[in-house]
Order: sequence, then structure tokens, then C-alpha cells
Amino acid sequence: MELWIGAINLGFVYAFMTLGVFITFRIHNFPDITVDGSFVTGAAVTAVLVVGGVDPVAAMALSFLAGACAGAVTAFIHTRFDVNGLLAGILVMTGLYSVNLHIMGKSNIPLLNEPGITAFLRATNPGIPYELLFCLVFAFVILALWAAVSLFFRTDFGIAMRATGNNAAMAGASGVNVNRVKTAGIALANGFVGLSGSLVAQYQGFADIGMGTGTIVFGLAAVIIGESVIRTASFYGRVLGVILGSIVFRLMVALALDVGLNPIDLKLITAVFVLAILIAPKLFPGGKAGAASGGRRKVPARKKAAVFAALAAVAVLLAAGYRYFHAGGPSPGREPRIGVVQLSDHGLLNITRDSFVEEMRALGYENGRNAVIELGNANGDMVTVNSILDRYLRDAADVILTISTGCTQAAVSRIKDRPVVFATVANPFIIGAGRTETDHLPNVTGVYGPAPTEQLVEIVTSILPGRIRVGCIWDPSQQNAVFNVERLKEVLRLNGNVAFAGTTVSGSSEVYQAAVSLAAKGIDAFVLTTDNIVFSAFESVVKAASAKKIPIFISDVERLGDGALAACGFDYRQSGVQAAHLVDRVLKGENPAAIPFERYSKVTVGVNPGVAAMLGISIPPEILARANAVAADGGGNGRPKRLALFLFSDNHLLKIVADGVMDELKKSGTLRKHNVSVDLKNAQNDYGTARAIVQDMVRKRYDFIVTASSLALQATAGGNSTIPHIFGAVTDPYRMGVAKTPGDHLPNITGVATVQPVASTVEAMRTLFPRAKRIGIVWNPAEVNSEVCTGKAREAARRYGFTLLEKTVGSTSEVKDALSALLNEDIDLFFTSGDSTVILALPYIAEVLKEHRIPYFTNDPTDVDRGAFFSIGADYYEVGVETARMAERVIAGEKPAGIPIRDYVPEKIGINEELAKRYGVTFPGELVKRAGIVRR
Amino acid sequence: MIELRDIHKRFNAGTMHEVYALRDVRLEIRDGEFVTVIGTNGSGKSTLLNILAGTILPDSGTIRIDGRDVTGKRDFERARFISRVFQNPFMGTAPDMTIAENLLLAHLRGQRHYPRIGLNAKRREFFKSRVAELEMQLEDRLDTVIGTLSGGQRQAVSLLMAVIRQPEVLLLDEHTAALDPKSAAQVTRLTKTFIERGKLTTFMVTHSMQQALELGNRTIMMHQGRIIDDISEREKGRLTVDDLLDKFSELRKAEKLTGEMIEHLRREYL
Repeated sequence: MELWIGAINLGFVYAFMTLGVFITFRIHNFPDITVDGSFVTGAAVTAVLVVGGVDPVAAMALSFLAGACAGAVTAFIHTRFDVNGLLAGILVMTGLYSVNLHIMGKSNIPLLNEPGITAFLRATNPGIPYELLFCLVFAFVILALWAAVSLFFRTDFGIAMRATGNNAAMAGASGVNVNRVKTAGIALANGFVGLSGSLVAQYQGFADIGMGTGTIVFGLAAVIIGESVIRTASFYGRVLGVILGSIVFRLMVALALDVGLNPIDLKLITAVFVLAILIAPKLFPGGKAGAASGGRRKVPARKKAAVFAALAAVAVLLAAGYRYFHAGGPSPGREPRIGVVQLSDHGLLNITRDSFVEEMRALGYENGRNAVIELGNANGDMVTVNSILDRYLRDAADVILTISTGCTQAAVSRIKDRPVVFATVANPFIIGAGRTETDHLPNVTGVYGPAPTEQLVEIVTSILPGRIRVGCIWDPSQQNAVFNVERLKEVLRLNGNVAFAGTTVSGSSEVYQAAVSLAAKGIDAFVLTTDNIVFSAFESVVKAASAKKIPIFISDVERLGDGALAACGFDYRQSGVQAAHLVDRVLKGENPAAIPFERYSKVTVGVNPGVAAMLGISIPPEILARANAVAADGGGNGRPKRLALFLFSDNHLLKIVADGVMDELKKSGTLRKHNVSVDLKNAQNDYGTARAIVQDMVRKRYDFIVTASSLALQATAGGNSTIPHIFGAVTDPYRMGVAKTPGDHLPNITGVATVQPVASTVEAMRTLFPRAKRIGIVWNPAEVNSEVCTGKAREAARRYGFTLLEKTVGSTSEVKDALSALLNEDIDLFFTSGDSTVILALPYIAEVLKEHRIPYFTNDPTDVDRGAFFSIGADYYEVGVETARMAERVIAGEKPAGIPIRDYVPEKIGINEELAKRYGVTFPGELVKRAGIVRR
Repeated sequence: MIELRDIHKRFNAGTMHEVYALRDVRLEIRDGEFVTVIGTNGSGKSTLLNILAGTILPDSGTIRIDGRDVTGKRDFERARFISRVFQNPFMGTAPDMTIAENLLLAHLRGQRHYPRIGLNAKRREFFKSRVAELEMQLEDRLDTVIGTLSGGQRQAVSLLMAVIRQPEVLLLDEHTAALDPKSAAQVTRLTKTFIERGKLTTFMVTHSMQQALELGNRTIMMHQGRIIDDISEREKGRLTVDDLLDKFSELRKAEKLTGEMIEHLRREYL
């Protein structure tokens, strides 16, 4: 039930946006993409104002105005300068991204505990489920909206507006200032969109810079669905259709989620769905839709409705089938079902999730065997959290585990009839999960804990005894940060010896300045409590502090190795472990109402001896004894390290390399020994994605990067100059500027260079054909790799007494002519090496050469299966293994600067016995023995 | 009273596609005068009508209507005193709106459009009686969407829209040319009725010599952007279609000698 009511509510709040799209698309005849931006503008304005204490109603009005301004700008560009409407919309939408970021000041503003519609409804709730109350209240709001908008379009001004879109010439001749009315209309439309953004932000509990993506498509989908549902010329009907369209669209999304479609496929499904509705009239030639002006309405309504119903039914069936085959059928059996939901791919949340699953296995719950543990990740989208929760409810999950505060808040307000266990939540009381650890919602329990401030202060005072002054930096716009700092102040007040000095920042770019000013005030130490903004610029604190030799104490153990002296925080692995035990107790029949909230039981204390030595501070033995994490450069293997294995594409050779790397890393035990985890990154053959991955790796401070392919090397070398980087599957690193010679390379980069074994191939030619004189080669000079190989071929040909006859091509289609030309010049052998253009024509070349009885040599052993005569290539699995071995040396502590680049070509030979027989050649027995691939 | 002074209009000026559409046009139309305009293709008659309507602004010259200088005013600003019927029956009406809504918009021509419900019962009664004058059985179909009407019906509604609020000037742009003969006759009859009854100052472009002679009390002939003849009501009575055709063929003969030579001389000596 919640699923459907939730969907209807979303339909209600999105109906404002849909009406906006309707006004531009149907009244003004162009789909205005500005809405993707103005939607966020509306949300941003409300979020900032509400957080700043402005009355929510005034904030919503200003959201409307802000959206309207955005629309007016688009309309102005469009009408005044005659810029195409779509283009004007794209321009404004793009610009709005920056404007929205400026308005918000950060990419996401939480509104969970701010006043607004949600808070108002909760406060006045007479005792019915919240979603139902929201639904009832908004049913009236939407009714009023429907009446108001329908009436508006029947007023003189509304009629003039419709006329401008319908027939601008006629409107102009009737004295309507077309441009002005158009501007008013587009502004009005975007005002509605802005208001919708404001409502959605309040409903989902946050505003986010990315929440507008695809708004126009959802809007168009809803408008089109609405027109299929209600077909009439009456404006009351059309507006009602648009509102219904918004609701139906959300119901369909809910349905798709309900049957188990992956949330990340939603946008694709939406696009296909809209396309299906658009082309349905053409596929089912029942009416004369789209034949002439006015034709839209001539189609028999019933027929269209039938087509629509059929389409919807097909969609549902497909979706249901998808679920049936992908979720192993709808019969759950009676093994326990646990639904896990996390808000995003954040490190802490992943650690919690993984340790939970691991501990569950230890407790005897193995997913797929005797339990169903579904893992849901909302990818930062609160709307998706709700949908995932609804799905778990549908699937009759026995327990729901929510990781992070956002998910927990959504779950406790939504789920009343099922146990909810939360983990990695700082303060469950402020989100309404309970009043004390024992007096809480009957179906909710979990693990929580604010940062262990007392212990942190204790460590500070025992390392720095006597009267001291500590400095702290925080971002006051974050509730959580303020909460932590207030606690720190309180603890310090109780301890008479420590004075407090603080500076606030409003963004990570201000942190350095703040740290410098605090350092200049002569503080004795920095004590930083958890604050995402400050920690995102932690390096700048380290920089300012080390200049004055001031120690840093932090609550985030993960960042210990980055230059803090000591850290004291929770081990989030423990959060998952404790949550697993709670889930186990609930599954065994305990009533969650009787299980008190647990605090994290395990505190991690970490010290960094390297920093201590540098500052000349000695750490008291009792602290060292308590430390269960020691920063990496002090030796030991306390902090887990991360290695990113970065492939440029899904190319099969690169996958083989990756297999080699992974097998070797696992087999050698390096990962276990040094506590290294591996994340796989794949740029999907897109350079922009590659760059984003590199930035992400640098930002997340991976400890090691291993790349496969030249392009991955190039992208990584361009964006990273600090993290040790080992490359493999690269033909020529010297050409890419990362090295001059094997020993002289960029300090953080080393690896394995694997050239095509051109010389060995030419040598084999000489062995097999002692009398041959002329080798033909076709290559594309635009390919760097091909140029290198051809150069090597020239050299080798000279050495073994051949003449190399070259023909160059610019595309695969020219290969045929180039080959004919070479055949005229009486070549004895033909060679293709490392040329992607020519290799595409391999089957054709092989066929022609076979006719002319000319042996074909290549550098990929698998080519013999497609008609090559003899091939020597690199064994890319071995290349991967060799790359991993080099990575192991770096993981073990060697500096990449001291490891020379290794030229390594593990040769693998492919021979074609069938062609050998035809050409009357026998391969030497030794060659046959070495051959990895033999075609008979 | 319409006064056009020294009107020049060039399209694509300065390019190889330059068209000199109007050259030094002077014209005065007195109140209540019904002027029909004929001319060859590209003679500038439609451009002249659009210059009057304000959809095209002249390069130079002045336009005065009842003493007001409206030269720089655009179409919607002139709509207060000028109304027009387009050649294409689809141009004059908004197809997705009802007859009543179209009429309301016409009725508000030149007025401000407030967000209030203007289509009240009184107005509907008024529109109904006016639509009845068209004698097309449309008076009971006020809420029908215009897009479903035939071309003749749409043009008749367009005409009614142009005269529903007495305009100071009525512009008709070959408004019967795209209709079947029966509808054309019907719309022509309605045109005559409305103009006579309202004593409307009218500027009507037409293709049909017959129509030009039958309707109105003055006919002007245009050629190559100039007014080459101005036929008064008295003279019109004596003329036949053949006389008009003779006038045009004389022109063509004269043109062969002069037009090309003048251009040639100009190119050679200037």
C-alpha cells in the first residue's frame, strides 16, 4: 500500500512540474529544457531559505519566482534574439547549474529536520500514516491547482496565451504582443517547475544539485501519458490529464521498481516508454493520428486507450518476466529475508555493509543458500531509498537494515509493521527513532554513536599535558558538524586545562585560510571533529599545521596516514558486525521493542609515529598501548589500503590482463598480507569517463593504481602525480612521455612495456622461408602504435636480409587496393603488426593471400584461426602477472622511482598447419612444440 | 484616411538575392474608400498590404493612419485600428481553439488581455448572433474547435473576426483565392455585406480582375514595386476585364525595351 500511496504523492508533487512542461510543450509548442535547471533552482532556493530560517511558505513563493526568472531568461533569448527555443533552453539550463551551485553553496542541502510541509504535516498529524495524510492533503492542493490552471486558460489572458502558441500570426493580427505573452508563459511554466522542485526537496528531505537531470523527459512522458488517458479539447480535461499523467507515470516507475528492475535502468526504461507512446499511433494504424492539423483529436478515444493499455500491459509483463528470471522466481520459500539499503557509495557505508554481510555469514546466514540478503543502494537519491524500502516491504522482508541516517529516517517514518535495524547513524534520537536507548519505536533498533569526543580529548591531554589551547574548524551549515563541535566544547569545558579557539568556514576552499589564521593565534593543537567539508580539505590543514609544527588530532581514523598525529574514532566495521548480531536476534524471534539501541562498542585509537618524530613529540606508552591502528609510514599494516585496477575498456585483451593481475595478486598473498583491497575501474572506452575516474581515484586517495592499456596510462599520468602507479599492456611508454629510458621515468610511475614481437616474427620468416626476399606490409600512419611497429619491421627486415614493401592506408576500405598493389610487386610474404585499421580486414586479406599462396604473418596468435599463417604475440595473461609482480614490489614498500620500466614480451606462438601443408612448408619441430595455438 | 509617403522596401539588401519590392510608393486612401489592388506576381501588392499591417516595416517613408504616424509600430500595436484576413484560411484562426474563443480574441483586438473570464453569457449571445449572419449553421457550434471546420467556414469566421470590432482599416489579402468557387462566392458576398454595412475603409489585394472590377470604388494596379495606374470609380464602370488585360500586355511590351536597357546602361555608366 505504501508503495502506491508514495507513488501517488510523488505524482502530486511532480504534477506542478508536469504542468510547467505542458505549458511550454503544448501551449507554446516547444519542449523547454530549462526545466532541468529551474527544477533544481526551485529546490535550492527553498533549501537555502528554509535552512536560513525563512518561513517555508515565503520560501516556496520565492522558489516559484526564481523558476519564473529562469524561464523568462530563456524566453528573452528565444524571442528577443530569435535563438531557437531548444537551444535557448539548453543554454540557460547549462548556466543554471553554476547558478544553482552558487545558491546552495554546496551540492546537497539536507532538509530532514527543517520546517516545511513535511514538518507541518507531522506536527498536525491526527494519527494516520504520514504518507496517507500527505496524500489526502495534497489531493486538495492538486484539486485547487487543477481548477486554477484550467480557469486561467479560459481567461482573456489565458486565451491570448494559447493563441500565441497555436497561431502566432493570428495572435499578432489580433493585437497580442506575441513575444511578451510567450515570455510570460514560459516564465509561468518554469515558475511551476521551480515550485515543484521546492516541493520535491521538502518531500524527499533534501535538495541536490543533480536532482533535475531528466526532468524534461519525465515531464514530457507525463504529458503524453495524460493525453492518452484523457482525450478531450476541454481545458479542464487536458489539465486533469496532465496531472493524472504525472501520477500514472510515477505509478509505473513504482511498478517497475516493485517487480525488481534495477533503479539505474529507470531512465532508459522511461526513454523507451516515452518513445513507445510517441510511436504507438504509427505502429497501430487504427486512427489517422498525426495526419493533419487537428488529427490528434480525430482518433477514436477508445482505440487509443486500448493501444495504450496494451502497451502498458506489455511493459508490465516484460518487467514481471524480468523479475521472474532474474530473481529466481517469485516464491520466497521460508528462509529469512533481509533487505539492506544504503544511501550512497560512501566508504563508511560500504565498510558497514560488507562487514555486515560477512558477519551474517559467520552467524550462519549465507545469501542464496539459507537466507536472502538483498543489497540496495540508492546512489544518493532519496526517492530511490523510498522505492527500495517499498520493494522490501512487498518482498516480505523479515528485517530491514538501514545504513546511514538518511535511510534510517526514511525507514522509521515509512515502516511500522516490520523490524528495522539501523547502523552507522550518529544520532537516532533527532530523527525520531526513539527518545532514549530503551524507549524507542517498537519496531526499530540499531547501532549508533556520536564520535567518541571524550576519548579524543583524553588522548590530546595525555600527549600534551598542562594548560593548552586547541583550535577547531567547522562548517556551521552542517548540522552534524555543529553537533560534534558543541560536544567537543562541552567536554573541554569540563576539563579546565584546555581552552578552545574556533573558526568557521563556508566551503572547503576556505579551510586553508582558517587553518593558517588559527595557527597564527598560537594554538597548541588542532582538534578536528567529524566534518565532511573540513575533511575534504584536510591536506590544507596539514599544510598550515606542519608549517608551525602543530600536531593534529582527528576523529576520522581513515585519515590518520594523511598527516594527523593521532586519531580516535569508531571502527565502522564494528557497526556492521554489531548490526548483524541485532538482526540475528530479531530473526530468532526477539521483539525489537525490547532490544535497546547499542552504541558502537569498539573505538579505534590510532597514532602516527612518523608525524610524532617529525614534530618531536613523544607519545606516552599508555596511548601506544591503546592504539590499534598505526599509520602506514610508521610501519605495520593497520590501515587498510586500496588499489585501483583501471582498465580503459572491456576489450578482451585487457580483461585477460586484468585476470592475470588479479590472479597473481591473490596467489602471492600480497593483498592479505598488506591488507589491500582492490577496486576495479573501467572507462568503457570513453576518454571523458577515464578522466573522471582518475580524478575520483586521486580524490579518494587510493594507495596504488594499476592501469591496463596505453590510454589508461595516459589518462592517469595526466591527472595523478602522487599515487604510485604501475602500468601494463602498454606498447611504448617512452612515446607517451612518462619515461625517457627504462630507468628514467616519472617518479610515481613504473610498469611493464610490451611491444609487439616484430623482430622475432621477422626472424621466424627467415627461418621458415630462407629464400624469400620481399615482405609486403600495409599500415595506417595515423596509428602511433602501427608507426612504431612498422619502424621495427623496417629495422628487422634489414637485419634479416628482406626488402620491406610498404603501402599506407587511411581506412579499412583502402586495404583492398593497397594489397592488390603489393601483389603486383611480387611479394613473397605479408605482414600485419599492431595495426587496428588493417587487422579489421584480416579475413579478407587471408583469403586473397591464400589464393596467391603468400604466407601471412601477424602479431596476435589467435589470428591463425582466422587465416593467418604464423603469428607471434604477447601472452597478455603473463603481461598481467608481470604487472602485478611489479605492483607487489610497490605495495611492499619500494618506491616506483627506483623500479625501472620492464620491457617484457612473453611470446606466444600460433601456427597454421593447414596452410603450411598447402604451401608445402614444414614447421620445425621445436617451433611446433613452443606453439600455444596450432590450427590443423 | 491612410497616407503612404515615399515607401521603399528592399529584401535581402546588399546580397545577390536582392529584391526591390516597393519603390517610392505614395498612396492616399480616404475614409470609407474600398480599394482593390491588382498586379503581376512579385509586383509588391502583398508587400504593400503587409507594410500597412505592420508585419513588414518599410526601409524608408512614412505611414499615417488618421493622422497618426504608425511607421515604426508593429502588427500587434496597429491591431487596435487595423484588422486583416489572410489568404490562407488556416492563418486567420487558431485551430486548437473553439469558435467562441477565437471570436473573443478578435473582439478584444487592441484591448488588454486581463486574467478574467471574458467569455461570459452575454458575449456568447452576441457571438451567436454574429455567427448566424454567416448563414453557415455555425451558431450552435460555438464550442467546436476551429480545426474541424472546412476552409470556407474558417475563412468566413476569419472575416467575421476581422469586422466583429469595427476596424478603421480592413486588409484583405486575396482572401478568397484558396477557396472552392462556391465558398469563394459566399465569402465574397459576406465581404461586400460587412464592408457596406460598416462603411469600412478597405484595402483588398486580389488576383481576379473580375473581382477587382466588381468590388470597391477604386482600383490600383501595381507593377515592379510601383503603382502604375489608379482607376477611379467612374472609370471602373466603363472598364472590362479585357481592358485590364490589355493594360498589362502593353506594359510587358514596353518593359522589353526599357527595363533591360535601363539596367544595362546603369551598369555600364554608373
